[in-house]
Amino acid sequence: MIKKFIHQFASPKTYLKQVDKAYSFIFFTSLSIYLIAIFWGLLLTPEDFVQGHSYRIIYLHVPASFISQSLYLGMAFASAIFLIWKVKLSAYLVRSIAPIGAMTTFIALVSGSIWGIPTWGTWWAWDARIISTLILFIMYLGLISLHDSFTNNEKADKFLAILVLVGSVNIPIIKMSVEWWSTLHQSASITITQKPAIDPSMLYPLFASAIGFTGLVICLVILSSKLHILDRERNKSWVKDYV
Amino acid sequence: MNILYFEFLKLRKKSRGWLGPILVFILIMTAFPLTVEFLNEDLEQAFFSILWIAVLLVMMLATEDIFLEDFNDGSLEQLVIHTESLSFVIGVKILIYWALIGIPVSVIGSIYCLGITSSYEMALLIFPVLLISSYIFLNLFCFGNSLTLTKGSVLGTLITMPLLLPLLVVLGKVVIAINLGLNYFDFLILLLGVLSIIIVTIPLIISFVIRAHLE
Amino acid sequence: MTMTYLIQAENLSYKINEKKLFQNISFEVNANSALHITGSNGSGKTTLLRIILGISKPTRGSIETNLTSDMCYLGHKNALKQYLTVEDNLILQSIQHNKPLDTLLKDIDLYDKLDVVVSNLSFGQQKKIALLKVFLNESELLVLDEPCVGLDGKAQTFLTSFLQEELGKNKSIIFSSHINLNIDAKSINLDN
Repeated sequence: MIKKFIHQFASPKTYLKQVDKAYSFIFFTSLSIYLIAIFWGLLLTPEDFVQGHSYRIIYLHVPASFISQSLYLGMAFASAIFLIWKVKLSAYLVRSIAPIGAMTTFIALVSGSIWGIPTWGTWWAWDARIISTLILFIMYLGLISLHDSFTNNEKADKFLAILVLVGSVNIPIIKMSVEWWSTLHQSASITITQKPAIDPSMLYPLFASAIGFTGLVICLVILSSKLHILDRERNKSWVKDYV
Repeated sequence: MNILYFEFLKLRKKSRGWLGPILVFILIMTAFPLTVEFLNEDLEQAFFSILWIAVLLVMMLATEDIFLEDFNDGSLEQLVIHTESLSFVIGVKILIYWALIGIPVSVIGSIYCLGITSSYEMALLIFPVLLISSYIFLNLFCFGNSLTLTKGSVLGTLITMPLLLPLLVVLGKVVIAINLGLNYFDFLILLLGVLSIIIVTIPLIISFVIRAHLE
Repeated sequence: MTMTYLIQAENLSYKINEKKLFQNISFEVNANSALHITGSNGSGKTTLLRIILGISKPTRGSIETNLTSDMCYLGHKNALKQYLTVEDNLILQSIQHNKPLDTLLKDIDLYDKLDVVVSNLSFGQQKKIALLKVFLNESELLVLDEPCVGLDGKAQTFLTSFLQEELGKNKSIIFSSHINLNIDAKSINLDN
C-alpha cells in the first residue's frame, strides 16, 4: 500500500505540474521575507558589544551553513527512497540538489572567512567545524563528478545514492564537531533545550533570514530539478508536449 | 575457508601487489628524517603526521586494482554466479590484503617510532592504533575503488578522501593523548568500535556496488 | 503431467539507455535439451545469457529457474589469473590434479603445460584451459558464450562430441555461437 502511495506521487510529469503551480508563490514570498530580514538585520538591529557591525554577516552565513547540511540530509532521504522503492524521481532530485548544495556550502565557507577577518584576525583556521564544512563541500563536488562520469544513467543514479548515504556519516560529525573538540568556532547559540544566548533583537531577523533563504534555495532546487528531469526524460512524449 | 587460501594464494604470488606498498612505506619513512634538519624535537613532532599520511598513501596504493583485475579477467562474474554471499568473499579479500600489507606496515611504523622517539612505551602503544587505522583506511579505499571500478581509481580515491579526514583528526588526537598520558584506552575503544562497524558494512556495500557494476 | 522446466523465460526485453536491445523473448529449457541463441553482432546474445545467469536483470519480463546446482558458465573472459601457472589456476577453480585430469589434458594437447604461467600461453591454449572446468563440471546446466572462439579443429570436434555426450547425461546446455556446433538444439534468433 505504501508502494502504491509513493508511486502515485512519483511521476516526474505530476511533479513538474505541481511544482510549476507552486513556484511563483514560493519565490515571491521567500524573496520578500529574506529582503525584509536583511533590511531589518542590516539597518535596524543594534551593534554587537564585542564584534561591532561585522557580526551582521550572520544573516547570510548561518542560513547558508544550515541549508547546506539540510540539503545533504534531504539528499540522503531521497537516496534511501530511491534505493528501497526504486522511485526514479528521487534519483533525479538527488542529482539536481547536489550543485545547489555545493553552492550554499561555498557561500557558507566564504562568508565565514569574511567574518573571520575582523573577529579572529585570520580568514582561515584549521578548526573542526570549518574542516568538516570543507569536507562537505568536497563531498558535494565528488558526488557531482561521480554521477557525471558514468554514461549509463541507471548505474550512475545507484552509485550516487550509495555514496550519498555513506557520506551522510559526515553530517553528525559536523554538528557535533563543535562540542567534541574545543575549537575556535563559537558553539551553538541557539539550541532546542536552552534559552538562546543571542539577544532577541538579533534573533528574530536571524529566523526570518533563515526562512527566506530556505525558500529561495527551494526555488533554486525546483529550477534545477525541472531542468534535470526534462533532460533525462527527453525521449518521452509528454516532454515534447510540455516544452 | 577455502576462500581464505585462494585469496592468499592470489595475492602472495602477485608480489608487486603487496611488496610494492610496503617498500613505498619504508621509502617515505626513511626519507623523512633525511629531509628535515637533525634536531630531535622537531623530528618527533612532525614524525607522527608523516606516519599517518604515509599509512594513508600506502593503503591507497595497495587498493589501486584490488577489484579491477578480477573484474577485467572475469573472475568477479564467476564469483557472483557461484557464491551465495559475495560480501563474505570481499571481506576475506580485504582481510588478506590487510594481513599482507597492513600488518607489516604497522610493524615497520612502530619500529620507526621507536627509532625516532626512543620510547618503547610509545612504540608499543602506537602499534594497535596503526593496525586498526590501516584496516579502516583499507576498507574505505576499497569502497571508493569499487564505486569507480570501470573509470580508474583516481576519482574513487578523491571520493573517499572526505570520509577519511575525520579519522585523521582522531588519529592526531590519539598521539596527543599518548603524550599527555590520558584517554588512550578511550580512543582505542572508539577506533575498535568504528572498525567493527566498518568491517561489517563496507563489504556489504561493496558487494551491492559490484553487482550493480556487472549488470 | 507437469513439465519440469529448468529455465522458463517470458517476454524478456532489455533496454539500455532508453534504446531497445531485444524484446519479447520467451523460451523454456528442460533437462536433456540444448538452446542455441543466434543473432547478428550486437543483438544482445551475451546480455541474454547474463540475464539467464542472474547477473543482469531484464527491463521487462520474467525468468524463472528451477536448478539444484550452480550453473557452469564460460563467457568471453576466461577467468584465469594471468600471472599464475596453469596448475595454480586449477587449484583456484577447485580442480584436483588426478588421473582424469591428466587424460583430459592429453586429449587437448596441454599435458606438459601445467607449470607454465598463463600469460605465456596462446589465446587458444588459454581458452582450452578455461574449458577444463566445463569438461569437469558437475552442474545440470551449462551456459556457454561463443565456446569455439580460438579453438583449432581438433579441439572443436572434441568440444562438440563432449557437449553431445553431456546432453545424453541428463544435462542441459544454453549457448551462443556463430559456428554450427552440430548438436541437437532449439534455436532462438534475437534479430527482430
